[in-house]
Amino acid sequence: MDIKTMKMQDVKTRVYDAIEKAKQLQPKLNAVVTFVDVEEQLEALKQIPSDAPLYGIPVVLKDNVNTKGILTTASSRILSNYIPVYDAAICEKLKANGAIIIAKASMDELGMGGTNLSAYSGPVHNPYDTTRISGGSSGGSAVLCAAGVAPLTIGTDTGDSIRKPAAYNGVIGVKPTYGRISRYGIIPYASSLDHVGYFTTTVADAAAALHVLAGRDDRDMTTGNEPVPAYESLINDDIHGKRIAVIDNIIEAVKEEAIVQSFESLLTKLEERGAVIEHVRLNDELLSVLLPTYFIIANAEATANHSNLDGIRFGVREAGESVEEVMINSRTKGFSSNIRKRFVIGSYSLFVENQDKLFRKAQKVRRLIVNEVKAVLDQYDMILTTAAPTIAPHPEDSVDEALSDTYLIAENHMIIGNFTGYPCMTMPCGFVSDMPIGIHMMAKPYCEQELFNIGSAIEAETGLKGITAEVKA
Amino acid sequence: MDKEYFQTLAKQLMFHISEEEAEQLQEEFVILQKQIALLERIDTENVKEMVYPFEAETAFLREDEITHTISREAALSNAQAVMAGHVHVPKVVK
Repeated sequence: MDIKTMKMQDVKTRVYDAIEKAKQLQPKLNAVVTFVDVEEQLEALKQIPSDAPLYGIPVVLKDNVNTKGILTTASSRILSNYIPVYDAAICEKLKANGAIIIAKASMDELGMGGTNLSAYSGPVHNPYDTTRISGGSSGGSAVLCAAGVAPLTIGTDTGDSIRKPAAYNGVIGVKPTYGRISRYGIIPYASSLDHVGYFTTTVADAAAALHVLAGRDDRDMTTGNEPVPAYESLINDDIHGKRIAVIDNIIEAVKEEAIVQSFESLLTKLEERGAVIEHVRLNDELLSVLLPTYFIIANAEATANHSNLDGIRFGVREAGESVEEVMINSRTKGFSSNIRKRFVIGSYSLFVENQDKLFRKAQKVRRLIVNEVKAVLDQYDMILTTAAPTIAPHPEDSVDEALSDTYLIAENHMIIGNFTGYPCMTMPCGFVSDMPIGIHMMAKPYCEQELFNIGSAIEAETGLKGITAEVKA
Repeated sequence: MDKEYFQTLAKQLMFHISEEEAEQLQEEFVILQKQIALLERIDTENVKEMVYPFEAETAFLREDEITHTISREAALSNAQAVMAGHVHVPKVVK
């Protein structure tokens, strides 16, 4: 259900119905970590003008968003008792615009994963087929939007962590420009790549949400000073003359024929609407190192960011004879095996003797990748590709953002959006074997309006505006 | 790199890894070395590291004014052991 339709119900009905639906679905989806008591928020809503954009709209937050007085675990054991003493910037904005936060959603542990299988509260299930994964790391948020619990759910995206689950669950996933939405109060993963974004079921809701969430925040010095347009009222789906680049060597890497056919069919429809579609290629050598470049940068930054998780001042503390022993025991039991191994790899690349060869090298290669993509977007309004190269896999077939011997361009190309910081949006474009598939768009920095405009035309062509899943047993 | 190497590295990061985890890391590092080799093939001569994707400056030195403080009670509210208004830890000097 979209925001406009939901507003036709009275506030209490829509909020309590959303909570009830989430509770009913919890045994099937396992998407919620914490249900939030809404009474105080409903009382506070009396002070908000009833024409506020999100007035009385139920919203879900990923569990790495700090919420004052509400458990915030980042789906990690070490934070499984952590109750923040302040709200993240986006909580303040959501509440000031009338949103009612109904739940905190499951995620991969500390955001470090792409399957949502690593959450401390257990795997999240895909609403279209509960034997399949939700994708991650923002899996809980994606699933709760896709199942029609809330029309707006918040996620974060360090290496496609909004866009991949959006594709797997048939919803719109927005990762805006780096610095467009404040990260103040978000439990970090890798600071040079972390973005706040969200899920919706319509382009209009995606545009409305960015208008609420975007803007400069001095508490996050990476936020940009650019003005925030009223995106929703500016949507124009006339795409005559819009120049769209298709990256051929990404599409060629997709092995699922039905996904490629669906994508090509969409291109034809966009051409019929007047768009200029042209095929370009990125440097193959650079595409082949997307994953190692990401892996080195992300793990190194994560190791540093999570050094404060030691069980002393906050988080789960394990007993020990000395301060050092308390920290070691708390971190050993507090992090899963996979996270500890990734910290080891991250730390290795930060050693003085390895920094030039690994960390700095990866940062330089990142620049080359960004330059390559910028050169394309200097000539075009948008880059359009497939999103995930398969439908949501079963857990045993899933590929995590871990070291792999194969360089999966099709699986990992969306991390280019994290390297560049350019705005990206995935949206559903059809179904294969009754599972949703998606497309991925990238525009120039701060040109989110372009995503919403062309996305609106795509939405009209696919007929998938506002779709949600009917969850079966 | 032997298993002890990874276990020592883990200890510097203030956690333990098991024998099995150290073995898994050994295997992952074989893949990592191959990927490093791929990265090394790319010419990055005169390329500057990218730590921030845009040119526009967004950071500035703010005035030295106290803002966004929290009370002592709030600061201690998440600590599992508190004594006399401080976080309590095992004795350092025995």
